[in-house]
Amino acid sequence: MGEPLLLELEGLVVDRGTRSVLNDVNFKLREGEVVALVGPNGSGKTTFIESCTGTIPFIEGNLYYYSDSDERTIIRNKVGRNSNIPQIGLTLQNDGICGEETVEEKLFSVLNMNEGSKNAYLIESILSDWGLYHRKSSRVSQLSGGLKRRLSVLSGLCPAIFSPQPIVLLLDEPSEGLDDEACNILTNWIRTIASRGNGIIFTSHDNDLISCADRIIKLEENKPITESSGTSSGAIVSMVESEVFTRQVSAKSLINWAIKMELRNPIDTISRLTPALVALFISFSLIGNINYETIDSQIISLLVLLPAFITCIISPALINRFNEADCGRWWYINLGTKFRPISSFIGASILLPLPLTYLSWIILIGDKSELYSNDVVTWLWLPALCMLDLAIASSALHFLVSDLQRSQASSASLLLIFLVWPFLELSEALSYIMTDGMSFSLELGSPLISCLFASLISSLVWLVAVFLPDA
Amino acid sequence: MPDYKPVSLVLILLGLFGSSVSILLGFIWVPGINPESVQQGSAESYRILFWHVSFAWCSFLAFLMLFVGSILWYLKNDEFGWRLFSTGSDMGLLFGFGVITSGPIWGSVAWGKPWDWGDLRLNSFALLTAVALFLVLSRKSQPDTNQTRDTLSIIGLFGFFLVPITAVATTLYNRRHPPIIIIEGEDTGLPDEWKMVLIFSFVSFGLIFIGVSLLNDMVNQLESKIEKYQRVIDRGED
Repeated sequence: MGEPLLLELEGLVVDRGTRSVLNDVNFKLREGEVVALVGPNGSGKTTFIESCTGTIPFIEGNLYYYSDSDERTIIRNKVGRNSNIPQIGLTLQNDGICGEETVEEKLFSVLNMNEGSKNAYLIESILSDWGLYHRKSSRVSQLSGGLKRRLSVLSGLCPAIFSPQPIVLLLDEPSEGLDDEACNILTNWIRTIASRGNGIIFTSHDNDLISCADRIIKLEENKPITESSGTSSGAIVSMVESEVFTRQVSAKSLINWAIKMELRNPIDTISRLTPALVALFISFSLIGNINYETIDSQIISLLVLLPAFITCIISPALINRFNEADCGRWWYINLGTKFRPISSFIGASILLPLPLTYLSWIILIGDKSELYSNDVVTWLWLPALCMLDLAIASSALHFLVSDLQRSQASSASLLLIFLVWPFLELSEALSYIMTDGMSFSLELGSPLISCLFASLISSLVWLVAVFLPDA
Repeated sequence: MPDYKPVSLVLILLGLFGSSVSILLGFIWVPGINPESVQQGSAESYRILFWHVSFAWCSFLAFLMLFVGSILWYLKNDEFGWRLFSTGSDMGLLFGFGVITSGPIWGSVAWGKPWDWGDLRLNSFALLTAVALFLVLSRKSQPDTNQTRDTLSIIGLFGFFLVPITAVATTLYNRRHPPIIIIEGEDTGLPDEWKMVLIFSFVSFGLIFIGVSLLNDMVNQLESKIEKYQRVIDRGED
């Protein structure tokens, strides 16, 4: 075939633990080509798809994507990731959709389109084709398994419909959980999308679906891959034509998505606020009746900042959302190296530390504020604001641990002990302001320098947790 | 794979005997300390140092092993690196735990309090031990894939990035606090008996360290071998 190349795997070797799953695999995908990956369970089909996304480590080999101008970009080699993949269509085996989002929102996210009326008819048309229109405003958690799978498959196919140039579609077991009618739609859509120049790789055990492939690649454990021709069966169907082009999923899409999910169900805010308020009221009941003049200002400052510190170190609810049906994996594959730093920001407790610190001051100190400098209320925002760095570092550590396959079985709190340092520095700063008033001196021990060090320490932790994994 | 079990057991038994003798010598042979310099508790508690220092030196070795193993796996996916990582994290947890439990006993005597947030060594060891505990628990609870190994080796490296940061943080924090009360004699040099018992104790702990490390490595390798055989059975092959 002489069609331009879209993707190439060269000499690929991938291990899972002590097991070599893919061994010296060479593969090329051309424009308009449909390739089926077949083989028994555990033969490496999903690993093959994951290798094409450039997100799993290679023992040997290279992954290339080709652009319009036939320019080859190396995405990953055995050393690590070189660059992010271009726009792709992706259906994961576990759907990759959070139960909180609605059907329509999922497609808007996938296509990175604004939810304006201009684009709404396009989405509605596609949803109608797949029998999902009546469910467009339903949350994914309300859908049956079959409908959820339809949406997941549609999310993988959609980018190709609106892409201005041919792209790669990676579909992992797309027919799994689909009824005969949906399988038939899928087969026809695959052929139609391929006829527009897009390249499609899918894994399947379904012989009907496999029959729509141009090439069939058989994977077997400890055996070289074998290749045969497919029958390319399936009809070309009419599909929505659009002048509106989709854009690659961006950081902004993730931020919008995360805000929307939290507004819909504010579990992050609640799970952070509850222990912080409990800590605040316990502190109040412990020291409320004690003569404050006998208590070291350092202890008071620690107690004032404690609720904000607690909100910062709690595991972000975003991690649970990402863990739901591999939703985070979907975002990670699409955003590449941008995923981790952005997630650490949007997963952190950004809004709570400031109001909580003031609330804590009012409740714990209240009418005893004459014992301390008048500058405290004016400058309390400074340590509270530096707490944001700590929150982002903590969030990055939680995300690092969540990389583990069974992250719920790991104790991330052991790594968070370290963040006690910036917390102590901030309490030192507040203690200084309480006793001596605000100082703009740049000497060691001054509030500004203590806050600066706290931020610096948090930033270093963030850098290590965010950049080492994708380096 | 060589069978290290007999050698390891001999080394461990010798080490246990030596460490018991060292603490005994500490009580009956080494001169005591001036009770007036003790801040809190019994002056005899000070003798925990004979174990504490040896625990600390061995944990340095373990954390070094963990660091080298992390780097080797992170950069090269080297299998030997992963063996070092596994043994280093196990040893780091074992000996680090020894350090942070024996340290506060000495701290109570010397400083009048079991823990000092301004003490670099104490806090570094506590953090590294926490990292080692995390790594050991995670290694046992996670499926053994390259991705798991990558993430854990990054966390192993993260542990080492903590040390210089801890150094800066503790220096800053310590600067604003009264200096740690060091009892007479420690700064001016130890008596010969002290040195001899300390060295004898370190050698004994070193034997335990080597013995347990060899055993640990052998167990890890055997587990990996069993896993391979189990997979062959899963596939229904002979």
